[in-house]
Amino acid sequence: MFFHIVLERNMQLHPRHFGRDLRDKLVAKLMKDVEGTCSGRHGFVVAITGIEHVGKGLIRDGTGFVTFPVKYQCVVFRPFKGEILEAVVTMVNKMGFFAEAGPVQIFVSNHLIPDDMEFQSGDMPNYTTSDGSVKIQKDSEVRLKIIGTRVDATEIFCIGTIKDDFLGVISDPEL
Amino acid sequence: MDELRRTLSELKHLRRASIEKDMCTHPGVIGGLCIRCGQKVDDQSGVAFGYIHKDLRLGNDEVARIRKRDFKNLLRQKKLYLVLDLDHTLLNSTRLLDITPEEEYLRSQTHALQEPLKGSLFRLDYLHMLTKLRPFVRTFLKEASNLFEMYIYTMGERAYAMEMAKLLDPENVHFNSKVIAQGDCTQRHQKGLDVVLGHESAVLILDDTEPVWVKHKDNLILMERYNFFASSCRQFGFNCKSLSELKSDESEADGALATVLEVLKQIHGMFFDQKLGDNLVDRDVRKVLKTVRMEVLKGCKLVFSRVFPTKFQAEKHQLWKMAEQLGALCTTELDPSVTHVVSTDAGTEKSHWAVREKRFLVHPRWIEAANYLWQKQPEENFPVKQTKSQL
Repeated sequence: MFFHIVLERNMQLHPRHFGRDLRDKLVAKLMKDVEGTCSGRHGFVVAITGIEHVGKGLIRDGTGFVTFPVKYQCVVFRPFKGEILEAVVTMVNKMGFFAEAGPVQIFVSNHLIPDDMEFQSGDMPNYTTSDGSVKIQKDSEVRLKIIGTRVDATEIFCIGTIKDDFLGVISDPEL
Repeated sequence: MDELRRTLSELKHLRRASIEKDMCTHPGVIGGLCIRCGQKVDDQSGVAFGYIHKDLRLGNDEVARIRKRDFKNLLRQKKLYLVLDLDHTLLNSTRLLDITPEEEYLRSQTHALQEPLKGSLFRLDYLHMLTKLRPFVRTFLKEASNLFEMYIYTMGERAYAMEMAKLLDPENVHFNSKVIAQGDCTQRHQKGLDVVLGHESAVLILDDTEPVWVKHKDNLILMERYNFFASSCRQFGFNCKSLSELKSDESEADGALATVLEVLKQIHGMFFDQKLGDNLVDRDVRKVLKTVRMEVLKGCKLVFSRVFPTKFQAEKHQLWKMAEQLGALCTTELDPSVTHVVSTDAGTEKSHWAVREKRFLVHPRWIEAANYLWQKQPEENFPVKQTKSQL
């Protein structure tokens, strides 16, 4: 799920940046440092939408660096257990398939794929029903439910299932 | 009354779901999460399958379950498993700094990496290597893929393995999620089928090195080494000029890969033979391999002369065992039923007997050739020289 929240961060700036463009340089550094990172609490920071407030700078003893507390608004993405997401399949193998929903990678093992779908190996590995009516292959879009998440500094990894009602393939890959 | 019944059944459903969650046996763990219930699991048991995903571990039950399911799937497609070694089996690589002056001409003959299907000699700058694919390898892979699900299993590092896989399989059709490298081995210096998701009874291995497959000798088809580069020849102690220095190469049409492809087709055909009647699931490709091997020197009775060191127990010698595996009978004493005398010296008593009794007198290489070429070779191609005896 996406959230629009306010976060705070202490930014350290080297004295060579002090001058007319100090605030711009601070904002640029903030974007470079924060966009694309993850945290357990907030999830994946997708983009910074605005700066709410830049506090007074505090000179650090002995180094000359200055610390500014910055409050900023940003869009974050955090998957939750039980949440239903749409994702694009990136890889299919005999263990299950991997799918991506934005920055999040989700693995659906064959334990959590309906029993009537069998794995077909070949140059385009896929899971297909016995009558061939439903097929999951690379670039298919699927609706899945998250049943477990793990977040570290650079990525979010989830376990998903398509075994419940209304889950599964939404559309086939574009030809 | 109805409402009560409905509530009770909902509660039962919830209770069952939560019990199922608590009772999850965590068949496998990926990225620290159970693949079945999604909970965080700290377990480090089971086998790591780093080549499928860097953080994947599977319990033994799960491996067995996947193997069984996959095997049924493959049998339906009439396929078996084939594990392929890289170095000296499908290709030969050398470091750029090991190139000899006579090999310098190769530098200008490399093919573009962007068009791997067009060539067989590639220069990989970031790995500082030159790689030569073995003749016939592309046709081999294409035809073998109709009969086998293939894996790459190398003792090289993962980065090297992935680059080689890209050269051999640029469209990622044969080896998707099936490139096993040194880091995936569960035992040091040993390759094992424990990291292959296939039943041992349906796996054939092609490798030029026997000692790494101690646990799976019966699945192994030993390949003749492909030494194209000078550094490779030196590595194995050969002082002659290499194929690259002689500006020559292994024959495409009847090189090692073409020969072994025919053998694989034969084994595959025998395995899936409908007339045998019993269940396909119960068949064992190792037995078929043994049977095919036993045909090579069937009917031959061998005696060895000056081949084994004195006081060495003959039956334990590698050549003796090799000959027996190829279907020959080996004895230590001469008798009228002996057909071949295998010797390194034409001056021994047993060698003289062979010439006198008009039996075949062959060099031990005759047995090795039969082993690599899967066919009895003409005996006249393996003459024995007379060595100066010490008086």
